[in-house]
Amino acid sequence: MVQLLLVHLVAAAVAPVLVRFLGRNAFLVLALAPASALAWLLSVAADVRAGNGPVQRVSWVPGLGLDLDFRLTTLSWVLALLVTGVGALVLFYCRWYFTATDPTLWRFTAVFTAFAGAMLGLVLTDNFLVLYVFWELTTVFSYLLIGHNPASSTNRRAAMQALIVTTLGGLAMLVGIIALGVRHSYRISEVVAHPPALDAVTIGAVVLLLVGALSKSALVPFHFWLPGAMAAPTPVSAYLHAAAMVKAGVYLVALLAPAFAGAPGWHALTVGLGLFTMLVGGWRALRQYDIKLLLAYGTVSQLGFMVALAGLGTREGGLAALALVVSHAFFKSTLFLTVGVIDRSTGTRDLRELSGVGRRLLPLSVPAVLAALSMAGIPPLAGFVAKEAALQAGLEAASDGVPFAAAWGWLMTVTLVVGSILTVAYSTRFVWGAFARKPGMPLTPVRVPHPGFLLAPLLLGVGSLLVGLLAPLEHPWLLPYAQQLVRGAPPALLALWHGFTPALGLSALAIAIGVGLFVWRDRVGRVQRAVPPLVDGERAYARFMRGLDVGAVEVTARTQRGSLPFYLATIVFVFVALPGMAALLRGSVGPVRLWDTPAQAVVGAVIVVACVLVLLTDRRLASVMLVGVTGYGVSTLFILHGAPDLAITQMLVETVSLVVFVLALRRLPTRFERHERSLRRRLRVLLGIAFGASVAAVILVASAARHVVPVSIDFPEQAHSFGHGSNIVNVTLVDIRAWDTLGEVSVLVAAATGIASLIFVKTRNTRLSTASEQAIAPTEPTRGTWLRGGRTLRRERRSVMFEVVTRLIFHIMIAVSLYVLFSGHNLPGGGFAGGLVAGLALVVRYLAGGRYELDEAAPFDAGLAVGIGLLIVVLAALAPLAFGGTILQSAVFDFTLPPWGEVHLVTSAIFDMGVYLIVFGMMLDIVRSLGTGIDRQISAERRAEAEV
Amino acid sequence: MIDDVAANLVPLPVLLPLLGAALSLAVRRSPLLQRVTSTVALTGLVVVAAILVVVTDRQGPQVLWVGAWKEPLGISLVADRLSALMLLVSGVVILVVLIFSIAQGQEDDETDTPMTIFHPTYLVLAAGVSNAFLAGDLFNLFVGFEILLYASYVLLTLGGAEQRIHAGTTYVVVSLISSSIFLIGIAATYAATGTVNLAQLAIRLGGVEPGVLLVLQLCLLTAFAIKAAVFPLSAWLPDSYPTAPAPVTAVFAGLLTKVGVYAMIRVQTLLFPESPLHGLLMWAALLTMVIGILGAVSQSGLKRILSFTLVSHIGYMVFGIALGTAHGMAGAIFYVVHHITIQTALFLIAGLVERLGGTTSLDRLAGLAVASPVLSILFFVAAMNLSGIPPLSGFLAKIGLFHAGIEFGTPLSWALVAGGIVTSLLTLYALAKVWSQAFWRPIAETPAPAEVAAALASGSVGVPADVDPATARTTVLTETPSTSRAMPPLMLAATATMTAVGLVITLAAGPLFAYTQRAAADLKQRTPYITSVLPPEVRR
Repeated sequence: MVQLLLVHLVAAAVAPVLVRFLGRNAFLVLALAPASALAWLLSVAADVRAGNGPVQRVSWVPGLGLDLDFRLTTLSWVLALLVTGVGALVLFYCRWYFTATDPTLWRFTAVFTAFAGAMLGLVLTDNFLVLYVFWELTTVFSYLLIGHNPASSTNRRAAMQALIVTTLGGLAMLVGIIALGVRHSYRISEVVAHPPALDAVTIGAVVLLLVGALSKSALVPFHFWLPGAMAAPTPVSAYLHAAAMVKAGVYLVALLAPAFAGAPGWHALTVGLGLFTMLVGGWRALRQYDIKLLLAYGTVSQLGFMVALAGLGTREGGLAALALVVSHAFFKSTLFLTVGVIDRSTGTRDLRELSGVGRRLLPLSVPAVLAALSMAGIPPLAGFVAKEAALQAGLEAASDGVPFAAAWGWLMTVTLVVGSILTVAYSTRFVWGAFARKPGMPLTPVRVPHPGFLLAPLLLGVGSLLVGLLAPLEHPWLLPYAQQLVRGAPPALLALWHGFTPALGLSALAIAIGVGLFVWRDRVGRVQRAVPPLVDGERAYARFMRGLDVGAVEVTARTQRGSLPFYLATIVFVFVALPGMAALLRGSVGPVRLWDTPAQAVVGAVIVVACVLVLLTDRRLASVMLVGVTGYGVSTLFILHGAPDLAITQMLVETVSLVVFVLALRRLPTRFERHERSLRRRLRVLLGIAFGASVAAVILVASAARHVVPVSIDFPEQAHSFGHGSNIVNVTLVDIRAWDTLGEVSVLVAAATGIASLIFVKTRNTRLSTASEQAIAPTEPTRGTWLRGGRTLRRERRSVMFEVVTRLIFHIMIAVSLYVLFSGHNLPGGGFAGGLVAGLALVVRYLAGGRYELDEAAPFDAGLAVGIGLLIVVLAALAPLAFGGTILQSAVFDFTLPPWGEVHLVTSAIFDMGVYLIVFGMMLDIVRSLGTGIDRQISAERRAEAEV
Repeated sequence: MIDDVAANLVPLPVLLPLLGAALSLAVRRSPLLQRVTSTVALTGLVVVAAILVVVTDRQGPQVLWVGAWKEPLGISLVADRLSALMLLVSGVVILVVLIFSIAQGQEDDETDTPMTIFHPTYLVLAAGVSNAFLAGDLFNLFVGFEILLYASYVLLTLGGAEQRIHAGTTYVVVSLISSSIFLIGIAATYAATGTVNLAQLAIRLGGVEPGVLLVLQLCLLTAFAIKAAVFPLSAWLPDSYPTAPAPVTAVFAGLLTKVGVYAMIRVQTLLFPESPLHGLLMWAALLTMVIGILGAVSQSGLKRILSFTLVSHIGYMVFGIALGTAHGMAGAIFYVVHHITIQTALFLIAGLVERLGGTTSLDRLAGLAVASPVLSILFFVAAMNLSGIPPLSGFLAKIGLFHAGIEFGTPLSWALVAGGIVTSLLTLYALAKVWSQAFWRPIAETPAPAEVAAALASGSVGVPADVDPATARTTVLTETPSTSRAMPPLMLAATATMTAVGLVITLAAGPLFAYTQRAAADLKQRTPYITSVLPPEVRR
């Protein structure tokens, strides 16, 4: 059976290609896909009737219980026959329905064929999850087909409406399926054969499944999507919205009825809503002028009828339901296809504009009238047989011993009669509307269609007659399904004549009154206009969707303020409310030592005061300086703790930060906007204090909880014996936790690139311009050539003293930086600190001599330094692999090098050199971007101003 | 351990991109060499990740103690089933998006996405993502986050346009706060246990009293929840992602939040197996899903809609994590894999839509189905996938989660299933609106350019009148008009590949789901991870 689906899939995939080469004739080729499936189904007919239809399993996701299980039972076989048979005929019909020039044919053919495959899969599968898969696929393909002509906004809206309504039902059904599957099984045959006990969850699951079925089969309150779906091309309506897809709900009800017909709520949902829908649909159908819409409401009515019968849960009801499904497939597809031909031949579907079409198109009107008679339940057609059986089922249920069941039986019988009256009336209205020659109206001009166009409706219409005449032959093929049901007597033979039974009498009554309704249609119409619509699902849907849109906007406007302070406040609040409160409520604090030396308290106080002042000042420079104070304060705390490495690094970082801020501040106003002293501000202050307190609480609580020795206890000994260095901090950075450092230097690489990219935008490989290349203003005196770049500065910016000092200390600083780099393994220092020192040397050069001096000092672009640095670091990490070591493993080499004597070289020093280069490169990027880059922007602006 | 080749593969997903970044900086003047370097490095990453998936599945977690330091002194890198899978998926995404950006870089002048900046930074980002997945050490996990965050700061503000800087500010400041909270959490954890090695923490945290444990757990979860964009810590995301260049947004959307989700999965299973926070996380998941998707419904710009669906669907993953059962974890992992690929694909598609239509505003987009059938097929398939329409990967992922939720069986877990259903439906609704407006609607129905300009000037485009002006401003900022440009075949091919990965996941769902189940079982069991990282004498 998988093969049949694959045939459809392949056909759908090649459909666009076929259309390209064959044009409309592609439909004829594609019709072979369902036709071949039909042939196969007929070939296994005997097995299915005997109760051992083919079974197949293809494993897909066993972990989810999702396997492609297929099984052919009477029920699925009958539906598969309809799906494939009608599918093949409709595809054949499409060949003439569409114009050769339609540019969207490639899309239509593919989707339509894929739909046929999905529909076939839906009825063949024996796994609820797979059933859902195909179920949703039919929904999605239906969406695309309804929107086949998306130019009109009505069509787009109808497609969306069908999609949302049926998907909503589908999702409800999915939950039901999973609830059944988790607790019982996903195998349909297993659930049906051994239904789970009816506890609350199972009942809920069944109800959810039914919601899916009702939405798909367009029962009240979901009925409104189906008439809307008539926006689709007529062959689509004939197939999806009459013969195949909408039957999926009926199929599901019929599938579940043997297992769950006794569940609470089952009858209310199936029989109750089904019968109600039958009346609502029929009543509405009487009002329509568009013959396609008339049929659509008729379909709604019939679907309600079928669901009610299938839901009844008796053998007679089951058989009647199946017989009705078959007869409905024949007559409704005939009628829709007829409408398609009329539409194409006359250009209208409005029964007020059609006149005399019947006689002009006899090959069309004869099968159409047969189908309409079948719909109306007139002997000897298929519809009559089914309706007789249905009335019989109703009457039988009414005589049930259980009062509750009997009540449903009575309700069914009465409603069936009323529903049949309406059906007869709208069937008559259809025949009259489509074909009759109306007095006083000009004959509608008709273009005679190609015979091929008429073949499909002709075959299906004649089918209605044959199925009716040969009903007793049909009986044994449908019977095995009815025998699955447990309630009620064995059903009577499907036949045209059972003698003078009450059912026959009711039929005759319905026909008589129905014809009466048609004859007095004007009066009926007046009554209809006077009665307000009982259920207006469409309006409710529209109102709900509008409410949803508005509600969504309101919710989003509250949560998505577009305000960074609001977002930060939220985050801080969450921190205070969760970890903060947890620390407060659940934590305990051990003895707290306030300080080791009073000096710490002093430094701490300075930091706190600086923090508060930052909040109070409105000058940018002052706030930067104050933040700097906190940084230097922390650095002092490190010293007081005896951590010179951290202190040095912190100091250098702080200094660099200050330089960066000051360089950047040049382009900003000197003051912040004045702070408003509002309530909001006070709340923020409170929140900030709470945040700080929370952090303190978290740390205090966590520290008090320690009862094991930290891993760092082994660091000093290991750093010396395995890392070959006596500076633990440095060994930690370049060896023990070198992987962290590798990560952090990549951060620096990204940061350096980022700073450059913000200023230079496209690339940092800007052309360098050293002072020597600059034309120096002749007015400038030649004295003071300590720094060549200095001559390019304006006089008031120059400071000879600064230039002299710079000239003197630049090389010393570079030398110091190298010393810091190499001594780091055993003394305070290392590549990071060294790189910062070298970078600060560049800053000094720049500040003293301007941007050209910077390019004199570093006549290469920073990307190169950063790149080479990163290369060294990564290669140093990888190198030990070549010597059978592991990544970042270090080795030590002791050797004699003449001028220095004994050299003790630890390989991790190479790693540190890479770090040095990266930091140096980053500093160069900073100075070049925030210094040079901004200088250029400023001078460009000056020039522009001067020109103005 | 030293002789073990597989273990030495473990750091390569980090080192290869870094090597590539270094070379890319060195060959900075040759765009061709840069392209070759990046492609080779990232292809290597994918290959290594694929090998790791196979090796970890057959032989258990692969561990490398960097620098051969005595356990537990140094840093351990650990590739278990979960890490290896994440590496592979993210590697594929990163590589495909690279190809997309190369194609875009060749086509356009470089103002929008300057490639000399892009290549090294993008590779650093890849290294950071890989590092986060491999870190066997809480502090190194932080470093991994920092690498990817700094690279992302640069990528987000590429080109330095005003709106990108504006969006970048939100992103950078929020990220800094989240990193600080993470750091506070690490400090507290070290204070309580004296270690940052995850395996050792798993053992030592067992001895920490429940109250303190809760404090530590909440600190870490808060930090990760910001990164993963869990409500109410998610608002930064839709305000910062949509303005970046298309490939950047695509890779961010696919990967960055998932690194946060990964971190949540890791600490929840390894460090806090007896988590008392089911309820809290379930509420967070529910609100993330529903409020997120309402955001998507309310928007009229494609990229913003997608950003909101991104937030919303993070809720599904938190759903699985919150349940904490093996099924829940397997479902969450599967969902992560699915969502990484599909969200990336959709943002790439949005990039192509922007090129073709000159905008991503639904008010002005139209006629795309006619203009480019291929693009419309890609969008439709991807949109259906994200909405969880069967048989696509989104559906399978959802089945796994709903299964776990129903199995859990508490009222709150049922509410989550219901929330998941609603979110699914509204995702479909939001994306169907896009389809209807941008693809189906004929061009004739769109307002004339003059009207658009007037509407833009008055600020009325994109949002109904009753919305907060702040949101309105961002919406309009996001959707500045531009002109239609060609779609190079290579960009289309990269996008198609990304969409096709979703289909591959569907087809290979059986083995993949079994793999995620094994990964989840490992996580629940904890022993495979702990015993392969720590020798017996250190497990104290």
